[in-house]
Amino acid sequence: MLTIRNASFAYSQRRVLHSVTMQIERGRTCLLIGRNGSGKSSLLRLAAGLRAPTAGSVQWCEREISAIAPVLRAKSVAWVAQRSMLAIDVTARDVIELGAEHGAASISADALLEELALEPLAGRRFHELSGGEQQRCIVARALRQHADAGLLVLDEPLANLDPAEVVRVIGALRRRCKRGAVVIAAMHDLALADEWADDVALLDGGSLIAFGPAKRVLEPSVLASAFGCDFGVRSAALAVRLPRGA
Amino acid sequence: MIAIRSKGWGWIALGAALFTAVAARLLIGRDPSTGSWMFGVPEQEIISLRFGAVQSGAAAGAALGLSGLLLQALLRNPLASPFILGLSAGAGLGATLAAWLPIAATGTAAVFVGTDALLPGTIGAVGVLSLVFLLGRRSGVLDPLTLVLAGTVVASMCGAITLLVQSMMPSTSRGELWSWFMGQVPELPRSVPWWNTVAILVIVLLAASWRARDLDLASAGDDEAESLGVAVGPLRLGLFVGAGALAATSVALCGPIAFVGFMAPHLARALLGGLHGALVPASAVAGAAILIWSDAIRQGIDFGSGRLPIGVLTALVGGPVFLLMLRSARLRRGDWSC
Repeated sequence: MLTIRNASFAYSQRRVLHSVTMQIERGRTCLLIGRNGSGKSSLLRLAAGLRAPTAGSVQWCEREISAIAPVLRAKSVAWVAQRSMLAIDVTARDVIELGAEHGAASISADALLEELALEPLAGRRFHELSGGEQQRCIVARALRQHADAGLLVLDEPLANLDPAEVVRVIGALRRRCKRGAVVIAAMHDLALADEWADDVALLDGGSLIAFGPAKRVLEPSVLASAFGCDFGVRSAALAVRLPRGA
Repeated sequence: MIAIRSKGWGWIALGAALFTAVAARLLIGRDPSTGSWMFGVPEQEIISLRFGAVQSGAAAGAALGLSGLLLQALLRNPLASPFILGLSAGAGLGATLAAWLPIAATGTAAVFVGTDALLPGTIGAVGVLSLVFLLGRRSGVLDPLTLVLAGTVVASMCGAITLLVQSMMPSTSRGELWSWFMGQVPELPRSVPWWNTVAILVIVLLAASWRARDLDLASAGDDEAESLGVAVGPLRLGLFVGAGALAATSVALCGPIAFVGFMAPHLARALLGGLHGALVPASAVAGAAILIWSDAIRQGIDFGSGRLPIGVLTALVGGPVFLLMLRSARLRRGDWSC
């Protein structure tokens, strides 16, 4: 279980998170939504233990997550950055294998290549892949690192992915949740969030203004107050349909 | 350069480069009376001198190559080299001050001897390294960009002070100092600095090989590396100390030689790919091969005023390679390949 209690965070003198409190049970997916600069990425860094809160606490399995040594934390907590900055010339398979070095490595690279349809790319140079292909490799690296029933922290993991790959990646993440993992991710596609999320956390100006089941938070009136624009429900809207039970 | 995907072929190519470099340095010479090239096994006295140069070139080249790789990993910058942190400028300032102080104290013109640069050069390099280390920290953490900027500024200041001091020296004292500045591969390497270089090289090589996988992970950036299980702060400190010690000891042995530390890691990457398990030893081998080859080639280049200084040769070759990489579109995208 991921427990965030009154967590605040500041870069130098600039506070970016104000007393955020939320709890995500095992097997659930929580999506963070909010305007640009609302504090989603900062909250994800706290959740991954990469930053310590300036006040409050962020606990994973009842331990302060930022106090766990990186080599131990890597066995149960995996993080996907908004944009990966890999500075070595290696193949897609090499990138995925990086997750196994200190991670749990509970699934083989071959199985992940198959699960995320990356086999044709396995021997290609990472830097020559498209943005979406690179993103799938980084997600695969996190899954290679990840232990069953671990914590997956993802900053816009679906950015640059085409609809088929969105379905594939969400399917892979849902399968981890069924085995007891906790998924926390930031995203901007509200229709997709409605389809995918168990819980939604709505941030505005660094404060958590709504948290709960997706159907409750993704209400036009709630969203309008955070985003400052009107929302409506269009039954004929074209959107990716996620397979039930995937 | 075309990457050779088979590691076996990559190692064979590197081994061949080193073997031919050693053979060339041992067998190629120049007839001092006619100025013509000579190829063949010379008499015992000459071969032992050439073997001494191979020893010096191998130790200093390997140290520079490995130092360059560690700095590029430390800074996540493929253009980094031992000289970007101002070590050569620091060593040069130390040597210049060592040559000038006796003159200033006694008022008599002394002739600078190359080996005099060993101790003050090392002190200067290590002093600059420490200063850059202090200046390159932000909020208690080494910051790659601040580190590079600090190195550049400190190197400029050391260069200015060096020129000022040299302008106050009599012209008779400048000649040997200048030749040391342009790099020398000694044919009779002093035992202590040579063994220092070899000892530091072996220690850093073993430590870097042990942490090679963490160097791969650290290439993903601080947050990603930490999320993958790397304690970034201690790793960075180790890289800084290891790279600095290697550069300082090679400067003490051979003087400041530009671009070997820059070119060697790129040659190794082109042959063996980007993973540090192979890159760590390969960069050392590539550095040795480049420096020994450069020393062999310069034996035959004489424009009438003596053999071409090795630092000039490596700068003439390495400078365009550096500029080509700077212009490379791949590099601007963050691709480290050649």
